Amino acid sequence: MTTPTAQMVRIMIDGMTVNVPKGTLVIEAARRVGVMIPHFCYHPKLKPDANCRMCLVEIEKVPKLQTACSTPVDEGMNVRTATTVVNDAHKSVLEFILANHPLDCPVCDQGGKCDLQDFSHQYTATSRFTETKRVFQKEYFSPLIETQMNRCVQCLRCVRYCDEVMDVKALAPVGRGTMTEIKHFGFHPLDCEFCGGCVQICPVGAITSRLSMYEYRPWMLKRAETICGYCGDGCQMTVQTKGQELIEVNSAHGAGRNNGDLCARGFFGFHAASHPQRLTHPLIRRHGALVQVTWEEALEYVADRVNEIKAAHGGPSFGGLISGRCTNEELYLFQKFLRMAIGTNHIDSSARYGHVNGLQAMQLVQGTHRWTVTFEDILDADVLILVGTNITETNPITGLKVKEAVKKRQATLITIESLEPVVDTMSNIANLSHHHFRIPTSDTHHAIVGLVKAVLEQNLTQPDLAQRHPTYVNAMTSALQQISWQDLQAATGIEPDAFVRAAKVAAGARRVVIMAGQLLLRSEQGYSGCLTLLDLLLLTGKLDAPGCGFAPLAEENNDQGAIEMGTVTELLPGAQPITNDTERERIAKQWKGELPTDKGASLIEMLERARVGSLKAMFIVGENPVGSLPAVIHAEASLRNLDLLVCQELFLTETAALAHVVLPAASSLEKHGTFTNTEGHVQAVRPAIEPVGDSRPDWEIFSALSILLNSPMEYAESKEILKEIRSLIPGYSSLGPTPLPPKVDHSAVDRYLTDGYQRDLASRYHPISRASRPDGTVRLELAQSLFHSGKLSTRSKGLLQVEGSGRLRISPSDAARFALSDGDRVRLSSTSGEMTTEVKIMERVPQGTAWFPSHFGQAAVQLFECAIDPITHVPSFRTATVSMMKVA
Amino acid sequence: MASTASTKRLSLSAWLKTITFYEILVGMKATLSHLLNYRPVTLQYPHEKRTLPDNYRGMLALLRYDDGTEKCVGCDLCEAACPSRVIRVVSAEVPGEPTKRYSKEYYMDMTRCLFCGMCVDACPVDALGMTREFEWAVYDKRQLHLNKQQLLAIGDRSFPVQEKRLELQHPNVAFFNVAFKHVPPKPD
Repeated sequence: MTTPTAQMVRIMIDGMTVNVPKGTLVIEAARRVGVMIPHFCYHPKLKPDANCRMCLVEIEKVPKLQTACSTPVDEGMNVRTATTVVNDAHKSVLEFILANHPLDCPVCDQGGKCDLQDFSHQYTATSRFTETKRVFQKEYFSPLIETQMNRCVQCLRCVRYCDEVMDVKALAPVGRGTMTEIKHFGFHPLDCEFCGGCVQICPVGAITSRLSMYEYRPWMLKRAETICGYCGDGCQMTVQTKGQELIEVNSAHGAGRNNGDLCARGFFGFHAASHPQRLTHPLIRRHGALVQVTWEEALEYVADRVNEIKAAHGGPSFGGLISGRCTNEELYLFQKFLRMAIGTNHIDSSARYGHVNGLQAMQLVQGTHRWTVTFEDILDADVLILVGTNITETNPITGLKVKEAVKKRQATLITIESLEPVVDTMSNIANLSHHHFRIPTSDTHHAIVGLVKAVLEQNLTQPDLAQRHPTYVNAMTSALQQISWQDLQAATGIEPDAFVRAAKVAAGARRVVIMAGQLLLRSEQGYSGCLTLLDLLLLTGKLDAPGCGFAPLAEENNDQGAIEMGTVTELLPGAQPITNDTERERIAKQWKGELPTDKGASLIEMLERARVGSLKAMFIVGENPVGSLPAVIHAEASLRNLDLLVCQELFLTETAALAHVVLPAASSLEKHGTFTNTEGHVQAVRPAIEPVGDSRPDWEIFSALSILLNSPMEYAESKEILKEIRSLIPGYSSLGPTPLPPKVDHSAVDRYLTDGYQRDLASRYHPISRASRPDGTVRLELAQSLFHSGKLSTRSKGLLQVEGSGRLRISPSDAARFALSDGDRVRLSSTSGEMTTEVKIMERVPQGTAWFPSHFGQAAVQLFECAIDPITHVPSFRTATVSMMKVA
Repeated sequence: MASTASTKRLSLSAWLKTITFYEILVGMKATLSHLLNYRPVTLQYPHEKRTLPDNYRGMLALLRYDDGTEKCVGCDLCEAACPSRVIRVVSAEVPGEPTKRYSKEYYMDMTRCLFCGMCVDACPVDALGMTREFEWAVYDKRQLHLNKQQLLAIGDRSFPVQEKRLELQHPNVAFFNVAFKHVPPKPD
């Protein structure tokens, strides 16, 4: 990153003058004037290593050739890259490389996009060496990443990427000289994060993807730039297809918000869309069984039934639930369809599972519904505070930004996570942390309170805050005085000193970004925890400071979009509260109709109403409440009670199996649209393949239904919906390369500081009463796995090879306590139910805690109780105390 | 004027030529002489065949090594070289021999083939050959869509002498179609 104050120097490259900041490498300066210096080991993301010697250039007044990738520019430098001397040097370097390269280009997957191939053509290099080429003994096959070390040119890009960028350190060079070989640690197949970074960064075919092995040649592929459909990071990726076949995914360096980095889900998880079990035809329930029908039949049936039910019971007897994995256009049209064509306000989306908590807190305190920071602010931050994120597994690419900020830009990292800092097969953010608070997820809130208490007691508050809003500061001080350090220490197991030290670091820094992850947002204290974190920013005066802000991380790719499109019952499009009359009238005017004014029901209330029979029909799009909600909600019984259940799905899920009508929907790889990522950046989604079978994009289905219901919402393409969204919602007008974050609304902050904080101050800062956990039990938590996102990825054959089934992750000390070893089966039981599962020992799991990946959690969710936040109506069901017993 | 022309009297020789069809006899001279003295000048194709030149480009075929293994490594280069999109290769890993590539399926749509021979030039392992077969007239075009087995059979009958399979003892040349003995068996 160049700062504007950097000194500029003027250099000559091949006779062309270029002005670059001092310290730029010659190879980068050359690229600016369009001179490509051949290289293998250089990569803009990595520190210079200069081991391949391919980028030698001639610099005037320097006696020997210099490596362009490691020489910084200096004033007046005269670089020549195309002289005979340089060409000869390049040629001989190539000759040395080709001395050992097997030249198996015809069977190599890199053939056609290989740097070595290109340079060999460029220099017409042949090797004069006739000695026997080296042959490495291959030892292990990895499930997804294929290594063919005979082809390696030993540039060590993969090793350096794995260490510098991913912080995984799974690969290492072994051996000396030409016999150097890239290996992983341990006598077993490669076991790492499977981010695919080494596959992407390898200049030759030494590391390739096993998923698309031998399936293609680069020139056969059609490319589509789209956005990943898994987590909220919103990574741009290039999906490569051959006809209708999905072949490969990659991401160009510098592309999108991810800068070309992907995680296992993005790189290897693309096969979900082409799963053989995809629904390809509409289904209608006849005599108890789902039978295949035509689209006309299915839609007319739905329209008839909707008209009947609407005539008998009115619009509010309908409810709608949509997944945060749909595009903005679909989310928008869904709520418009329900509010206008049906006339109900009972709308909810998967943002309800947690993202609503962060949003409501932001709206209350700072008056925005988006982050006030961007990924760039994370990179530039002085202090980063991560709360309940498990960021390397949940939001891996945001995690990369944190890693870069800490490792390359010397940011101080404060983590409040339920993670042990250990070196593991996967990266662990706690390893990089300067102030790590290892706290069970359910006690996260206490640690945040500890930080706030330290800030207040050490007088780290912003000096003029107490003058402007004495009542707020006094109320906070007195509330926190009731909580003693002894109680906090007992609850969190952390010395008061540690809180004080971290609070001093945070208060003293210039740029502070606080990130809240799913473990906090989806917990019982999700809303109050977010408010307390915002209090922390307010007290230290960081809320509206440049480069500072609060960033709740979304789990699903378009949770943020779901909120901004108004697909939660309390919000209108533009994330305006439904109680805002002027906004409602404005939207009604634009829609040329009437909006229902009643306060709608959220997800859990809808299911409750369905159970008692006041809700008669539901539209469920891409959501699976039966599979993901705990047994105490009785989702299945509620849905069975409905007169009409219409599901739009990719697969016949547990919920779709109950439906009266199942309509096949197109996946995000098959449609146009936009996704809004967690930082509020709207990005275009483009189709890579045609919709599978007869499936259609969801918005087309809503549009067709609305026509049959006589309130037509006709659009020729999804762009027209986007046009309508743009006219309604600010922030969707430009899809630029970087988002423009909103500014903190000072009137909202003042409102919060004068009386907004009072509403739940008492419930947030209350003395801690600690329930002890009985012996023989563990704290079971539903966790996010790196290799999956939601349940969609469990249909992806690549990811299933890495993690094929849910295994309970326990700590080594618990394993010893319960006499368990890897692969043993245990029975977990609580008052709500029981389940049997295999265990996997992971050192990063704290003692007394057991994680079960939520993607395989159908059986596990039955063990949880469900608590519903009184303000945000978020159901939290992700922690439970269960007894664990070994079974045969 | 047409009437004056028709009333003009013909000369005697012209009149004689007219009544004896002389011009026709002149035109038929070669024909009539061959009628009496039959000697074929064209090649009597089904009964006699031309000697084909050495570089004759006939029907394409897939070849084998002397040990009966297919030469083709499924590299798709013939598909890329083909100007009329005759070839389709589906390559895959050899079952039981991990990381070794072969063509699982190989199709040629000979109805479109120009017999330019670029695929043969492109093949890095000389797995494609042009035979001297040309008698491929069929009643049903679909019979000209050939699969791998058919192409191998053509190769077998047209190239009785097969190349010896490479061994790994000369690894300074490209080694991509040798037995993969340095690779361990893949775990299930």
